[in-house]
Amino acid sequence: MSTEVIKVNINSKEFEVPKGARLIDVCRDKGFDIPSFCYYSDLALQASCRMCLVRIEKMPKLQTSCTIICTDGMIVTTQSEEIEKAQRSMLEFLLANHPLDCPVCDRGGECELQEMTFDWGGLEERFIEKKNYAPEKYLSPMVANDPQRCILCKRCTRVCDEWMGEDAIEAGGRGANTVIGTYGGWLDCSQCGNCIEVCPTGTLLDGTYRHQARPWELAQTISTCSYCSDGCEMSLGSRAGELMRIVARDRYVNGHNGEFLCIKGRFGHPFVNHEDRLRTPLIRYKKGGKLIPATWDEAIRYTAEKLKAAAAAYGPDALGVVGSPRITNEANYALHKFATEVVGTKNYAATDAFSLKPFFDNLGAPLATHRDIRYAKTILLIGGEPEELQPLTAKQIRQAVSNGAAKLIVINSVPIRLVEHAAQFIHIRPGMENAAVWALGHSSNETTAAQKMGIEANELSALRQTITETEGDVVIMFGGELNAAAQMIVAQLANSFRADTRRVLLHPLPLYNNSVGAHDMGMMNGAMSVAEMLDATGSSIRALYVAGSFLPEHLRGREEALAKLDFLAVHELFETDTTAFADVVLPAASFAEIDGTFTNNDGLVQRVRQSIPPVHQAKPDWMITAALAAELGKDFGFQMSASAVFREIAERIPAYSGLRYPVLKDESNPVQARYNIVEPRDLSSALNELKQTVAALPDDGEKSNVTPRVGHELFKIGTLTDKVSQFHLLAAGNPRPDTVRVSPLYQITVDAKLERDAAVSGD
Amino acid sequence: MSTQPIQIQPLSQPVNIGDEVASFSPEVEAEIDGHLAKYPVMRSAILPLMFIVQRERGYLDAPGVAYLAKRLRLRITDIWEVATFYSMIYTQPVGKYHIQICKTLSCKIMGEPGITDHVCNKLGIRLGETTADGKFTVSLVECLGSCGTAPMFQIGFDYHENLTTEKVDQILDGLK
Ligand code: SF4
Ligand code: SF4
Ligand code: SF4
Ligand code: FES
Ligand code: FES
Repeated sequence: MSTEVIKVNINSKEFEVPKGARLIDVCRDKGFDIPSFCYYSDLALQASCRMCLVRIEKMPKLQTSCTIICTDGMIVTTQSEEIEKAQRSMLEFLLANHPLDCPVCDRGGECELQEMTFDWGGLEERFIEKKNYAPEKYLSPMVANDPQRCILCKRCTRVCDEWMGEDAIEAGGRGANTVIGTYGGWLDCSQCGNCIEVCPTGTLLDGTYRHQARPWELAQTISTCSYCSDGCEMSLGSRAGELMRIVARDRYVNGHNGEFLCIKGRFGHPFVNHEDRLRTPLIRYKKGGKLIPATWDEAIRYTAEKLKAAAAAYGPDALGVVGSPRITNEANYALHKFATEVVGTKNYAATDAFSLKPFFDNLGAPLATHRDIRYAKTILLIGGEPEELQPLTAKQIRQAVSNGAAKLIVINSVPIRLVEHAAQFIHIRPGMENAAVWALGHSSNETTAAQKMGIEANELSALRQTITETEGDVVIMFGGELNAAAQMIVAQLANSFRADTRRVLLHPLPLYNNSVGAHDMGMMNGAMSVAEMLDATGSSIRALYVAGSFLPEHLRGREEALAKLDFLAVHELFETDTTAFADVVLPAASFAEIDGTFTNNDGLVQRVRQSIPPVHQAKPDWMITAALAAELGKDFGFQMSASAVFREIAERIPAYSGLRYPVLKDESNPVQARYNIVEPRDLSSALNELKQTVAALPDDGEKSNVTPRVGHELFKIGTLTDKVSQFHLLAAGNPRPDTVRVSPLYQITVDAKLERDAAVSGD
Repeated sequence: MSTQPIQIQPLSQPVNIGDEVASFSPEVEAEIDGHLAKYPVMRSAILPLMFIVQRERGYLDAPGVAYLAKRLRLRITDIWEVATFYSMIYTQPVGKYHIQICKTLSCKIMGEPGITDHVCNKLGIRLGETTADGKFTVSLVECLGSCGTAPMFQIGFDYHENLTTEKVDQILDGLK
């Protein structure tokens, strides 16, 4: 929108508004209520509900304010008898086929149609014709559908198309017989549930929450997703200590993710109150023996003694402390403090799939926020697969391309689904992402790199040209494929591409909700990586203190590593492959039970808030660590308060300085950590190192031409998603019931035959 | 959270989407290519292509839909959306003679309900159904632009106007 200002007159008051502003937004902004169903900012216009009618002088008929761009001198009336009569009639038509069954509708109590009917509806129906009848059904394990309640605003079809790029749900039929549905009646899609979220009526409903609670019984707590690094804000609905459902925090597009969530964030929560949650601390007094329930005091005392004994016998460096990218900043900070100030070991790390330390150490440009991505002009994606691993980032990319005309350049060895939106797809041989970065680092490397990658050299020069012709923001994203030298070069790329009219922003794509936070808290600064620690068990590493579990990829090929330890203490929610070897298991509280912060891949520091009391005897991770420190003679001074831990983080970690919980209160204006932007670095040694790496790469790799299936990562069964029966259906290929009408009165349960191997990913 | 087993009731017309994609003779493919060449935006060719697939396969069956999605680079649901909008595109098999009775205002006033009842009774089927021998299908459609000669129906692409029950008998008896 331009900065030019024009004058409009609304209800006899003059307002100055930016040129290009939409009338409905302006009216609402100025405090005039405009009813609407189909208008949804940042989605294509529909103009089908006609609730947003206004009178504009010199225009015939009433006008839909959602389609009108303000012009200078426009005179608008938003309320009059004429307008009200039109709106009341529109609503009467919308209700003509509606079953009016609010008492048994899951949306009742938070339904836009219900609210609107209170304000604009008649006292009785005048239509006596028979209503269209259609049975309730499931469209997928996640999406329940009651077609009769639909008002055909088509928000669902637009979000599915524009946000998800799926086009999975559409309007079929015609006129009064139009229904929202899908070919064959069964949804094979990414199951994000955004169609459910944006539906203003009870037509599309959360299939996992059918008839479980009424919205007014739920306590709503704003928190942050505990799955991927995009850090969506969400609202946890709980009742009597049970987490009942998760919806997005915000109506419309304010804040970080608006109404967007993906399948994991929205439906992946039943692990919280799952019956398999650990109930008490457990101690295995004898190797090979059983884990026996113990009191907290006993477990803490036992752990402290064992750690002390190991340190006394082998020195403090024989103790490893392992944090996790899944737990809060507070928890990782406490672990870091425990490792460095209590134990005094240099061996500490976090169980992440890869470390972003080389990237942050050489950071040459600010991190892009998701809003920046939405309005970027050019997006370069090196490796990664955001549509499966960071779905909000993928949504922002899609919208940048289709609603913002951004150019997307994808460098990948597989034609990922986002390629469909790409202006340029550089299809490289597998494992060649480092070579691509080497070529970007200096144009003289292009010919050799292109040969290695199996592409034409002019593909790289075209990429370079697109970037250097961009006016506006260029966002460079990268996945976990890059090695340390390549991360350093990407972090410094801004220096070669920025210009007066061009900003370069960076966007790393780590895998977990607090990957960035675990790095910020210093957990990546230890002398050994997690893999190295596991390789050293039984020799230089004698005891491990682990919050969370090791990732399957860490334990793969190292099945014996944990058995070689003298002592292993683990914080966990469930019994896992790691607790199988533990001498002490300490029940940790999940994200729904604690206060804290996560830092997402934008560097946004976001609040995690307690929605329910800790289940059974679980405790927040940082509290367990502080108790252990106290037992070992060090008072952390946290006084049982997460905000005190965060205050200390803000005092000690420069990027977080000045932050306090109250500063993070307003989710509409998320706060970004202030990372140090370094002076331009000399990259010659990194480039040299990469040159060696590239030279050693095989140059006969086969490029894959198969686009990966939707959900191949999203629906994976991890230790948490394992607890959600619907994920098993999806992971088994979303089998279509022979017939698709599933009685809505029953929840979907899973046939035991469908259960697949658990713990494929680290969730 | 208590959960109970899935309860499944039969659905009248389950659509099975297999992996099969329809294939056509080189002549038909050439005809399709001809249509595709006409439009700068590929998806604009959706209707002509649908008519061809329907002509070749009787109706838009699952392999036909899969073919259209592939040729037009659209999702199957996009095809479904368009196919279900038009009454002249069939998503279910139809009989040899498809009787489409106009139900819009002029025809309605001039006696469409009586004609419809007569056709249905005569053939022993309800609206939307096909006779057991696969010969006739009856459905109601919107205005066919022949209001001056209402009531009327079309069988295939042929108009039959100023209908009376006697005339209907004559027409149907003449169809073998
Ligand atoms: S769940 Fe998501 S992908 Fe599936 S139909 Fe709804 S919006 Fe589309
Ligand atoms: S299902 Fe909901 S969102 Fe979709 S058109 Fe109907 S009312 Fe609108
Ligand atoms: S995109 Fe990431 S942060 Fe957002 S809901 Fe999904 S898993 Fe959670
Ligand atoms: S909001 Fe304007 S027509 Fe629906
Ligand atoms: S109303 Fe029947 S042809 Fe127009």
